Amino acid sequence: MVCALCAAWGWLQALAEQPSEYDVKAAFLLNFTRFVEWPADAFAAPASPFAICVLGKDPFGRALDDILEGESVNGRKLEARRISEAPAARACQMVFFGTTEKDILRAVRSSGHGVLTVGEGEDFIRAGGAIGFILDNRRVRFDINQAAAEDAGLKLSSKLLNVARSVHKIEMDQQP
Amino acid sequence: MPLPRAPHRRNVLLRRHVLAWVLACTGIFAREPQAGPPQTTPSALKRMSLEQLSEIQVTSPSKEPVPAFSSPVAIYVITGEDIRRSGATSIPDALRLAPGVEVARIDGSKWSVGIRGFGTRLSRSVLVLIDGRTVYTPLFAGTYWEVQDTLLEDIDRIEVIRGPGGAIWGPNAVNGVINIITRSSRDTQGGYASAGGGNVEQGFANVRYGGGNPDGLTWRVYAKGFTRGPEFHSDRDNFDDWRGAQGGFRMDWTKSARDSFTLQGDLYEQEDGERVNVSSYVPAFTGTADGDADLSGGNILFKWKRTLSGGNDFQLQAYYDRTNRYEPNLGERRNTFDIDFLERTRLSANQQLLWGFGARSSDGHFLEAISGLVFYPAHRDDYLLSGFLEDDISVVPNKLSLNLGGKFLRTNYTGFAAQPSARLLLTPTENQSIWVSFTHAVRTPSDAEEDFYLSSYLGTANGIEEFARFNANKHFAPELLNGYEAGYRRLVTKSLYLDFAAFYNHHHDLFSQDLTGGPSLETTLPFPEANQPPPHVILTAQFQNDLYGVTTGAEIAPEWRPASFWRLRGSYSFLHMDLKQAPSIALGAGPGMVDGSSPSHEVVIDSSWDLAKHLQLDLTYRYVSALPAVLAPAYSTGDARVSWRFNSSIEFAVAGQNLFQPYHVEYAGDPGLPVAIRRSVFATLIWRTK
Repeated sequence: MVCALCAAWGWLQALAEQPSEYDVKAAFLLNFTRFVEWPADAFAAPASPFAICVLGKDPFGRALDDILEGESVNGRKLEARRISEAPAARACQMVFFGTTEKDILRAVRSSGHGVLTVGEGEDFIRAGGAIGFILDNRRVRFDINQAAAEDAGLKLSSKLLNVARSVHKIEMDQQP
Repeated sequence: MPLPRAPHRRNVLLRRHVLAWVLACTGIFAREPQAGPPQTTPSALKRMSLEQLSEIQVTSPSKEPVPAFSSPVAIYVITGEDIRRSGATSIPDALRLAPGVEVARIDGSKWSVGIRGFGTRLSRSVLVLIDGRTVYTPLFAGTYWEVQDTLLEDIDRIEVIRGPGGAIWGPNAVNGVINIITRSSRDTQGGYASAGGGNVEQGFANVRYGGGNPDGLTWRVYAKGFTRGPEFHSDRDNFDDWRGAQGGFRMDWTKSARDSFTLQGDLYEQEDGERVNVSSYVPAFTGTADGDADLSGGNILFKWKRTLSGGNDFQLQAYYDRTNRYEPNLGERRNTFDIDFLERTRLSANQQLLWGFGARSSDGHFLEAISGLVFYPAHRDDYLLSGFLEDDISVVPNKLSLNLGGKFLRTNYTGFAAQPSARLLLTPTENQSIWVSFTHAVRTPSDAEEDFYLSSYLGTANGIEEFARFNANKHFAPELLNGYEAGYRRLVTKSLYLDFAAFYNHHHDLFSQDLTGGPSLETTLPFPEANQPPPHVILTAQFQNDLYGVTTGAEIAPEWRPASFWRLRGSYSFLHMDLKQAPSIALGAGPGMVDGSSPSHEVVIDSSWDLAKHLQLDLTYRYVSALPAVLAPAYSTGDARVSWRFNSSIEFAVAGQNLFQPYHVEYAGDPGLPVAIRRSVFATLIWRTK
């Protein structure tokens, strides 16, 4: 009787190892660096690292650092940084919007050229973000706003567009 | 016949057994995991392709403590996933998961729902909304839960707010707000169908199809039908069978990054078996009647959301709702029109203003079925004008915020009423928050308090019939509440979260039933009646505002993830009522009635296991303390649901409700003997295309 329980526990542990949501999102961020083309002027120098910045509250914990450990793209070392102000995003190539950043629209506009904006939730791409993660039946999926990526001078590979849950072209209204 | 084994031999046998099991156990631990889900260390995830990453199932989505975490209200969110996994077949059953909510099933199609006490069949002091549409009837000041339904699969979440609402506006949010939100049609693309049956849920079928272009216009249509058997009746008079059908649609159009529109509507028709009291001034004077209530209706809702620059936005909403109720003892037809506007403006980096206004017109026709239950005038058109203003001030950014607000309303039977509120939220560290609030709230009178004549037959005295009658009280005043609340939330570790809330409510002018006059002879009824009855003796009574007092209590709701595949949630809710009656002669429903129909203690423990990639098991334990005024002893019961996912499209589930006893009484709300709620088991087959 007692061991029926411990057998069950062991079996559960073995069979049900599932990653956390942010482990998978970190893996996606790494993949985005491989399926998106950044313009040459997005980098300060040929040897500058590729910076993935987390703006605001960081939900990744160690997951992002572990995933980027020892990785590089086009010869540039990948680095994870934490920033707290939107304008600092200009020095990054990719910005992930942590959950506390409320005024996304304003922050995205100030990120500027050569920065891939990644965030969470349905409304992220409608607010001007380029890639928005959503959870669909416990799977991590993402929507793409192609217009936002193109405005930032980025080229998205067709492979990335195919895997996305949906691809939109939402132009931002030119508001004064 | 086998000889009894000698004791020491049995021990040897036992030891051998245990040894065998221990070996088996370690064997299992030592065994390499079979070809199951891939390893998920960072190095393994790195090597996966985009397609593979999109297929991995993650542990139950990280709880969204952030929105609730920084709300200075006692809010609990029941997610769509919680509803599906609980096996609930109706919205009131799904509400049992929330702390502080009292759900008691009266019979097959009726529930008493309350938040922090005052639960009644009509939930008169709880504001209930579905996608922004208020679903309460001004006739009785409450919500007929039996007609509030939608495709449960397409519910995104139910937000339950205990205590007077914040930015949710409108009267009657005195003890709480229940906000049912369905998923956008963009999230319900493809096909869904489910069907099943069991002993009490005798048969049900649901179907939905959604399509469209996620860039622009998406839509869905759905239909559902069910037939339900009666609950347990000790007199074998099984009057409460229930069947119905409902269908509806939703369209969402994203015109641009700035504008989006939604149009949705539903139509329903159902037959609810019920037993009602009938009384009249002509023989047979009094009795009960079993019959079917014919309920039908529909609604259509339009929403426009526009995002302005600087993070501002506004929303305009309009809806029309029609309900038809034909019951053995009364009939009602009601048309409701409503238009609301809401705007969010950021005044500065530290201050945001939320404001809005709305108008509602509710036009009801009462159809008399028995002379013992009359609304006069039979046709009444009520209007409600409301506005609200809420100022959210960030006193110390990310640490201390203040929220000041006021709701203002005016109806045709209250003058102008103001409901101010003030809330403070302190976030001393990233993982804990403390909030306090004060609200002054109002519950407006209903037709049932102002225009209602309800008679009951008392007997014959000296050859003349004697009746007691509740007469209309044109001066019934709004019920008032001064609510003081506080709460504490803490993310103790990554896998343990605690949510605590306490309240102290001071009530004034609560609904009471009072005797207002001694026996007197009456020759004509005070309302028009085709055939005036012979002279009779009347004892007059009225609904008045003579109850007052204090209710106080607390709720604690922990959530714990002992392992990645196991989530344990629970809540304990405590309520203490100290109500008194102002000097007057109480009739039946005095303070004892309210106190005795609100549970002092409630416990819910809910365990969710993801046993394997394809297997889910959910177990729920529920305890509700005794409700002596409605003849319900304290009870403990449990629900269970196990589901197998055969492939990405097909799921088979078996669910059981009220499993501990064959039947138990939760609330005696029907005439006659109390109806007991049966143990129910049913199976469902589900098919999804996405």
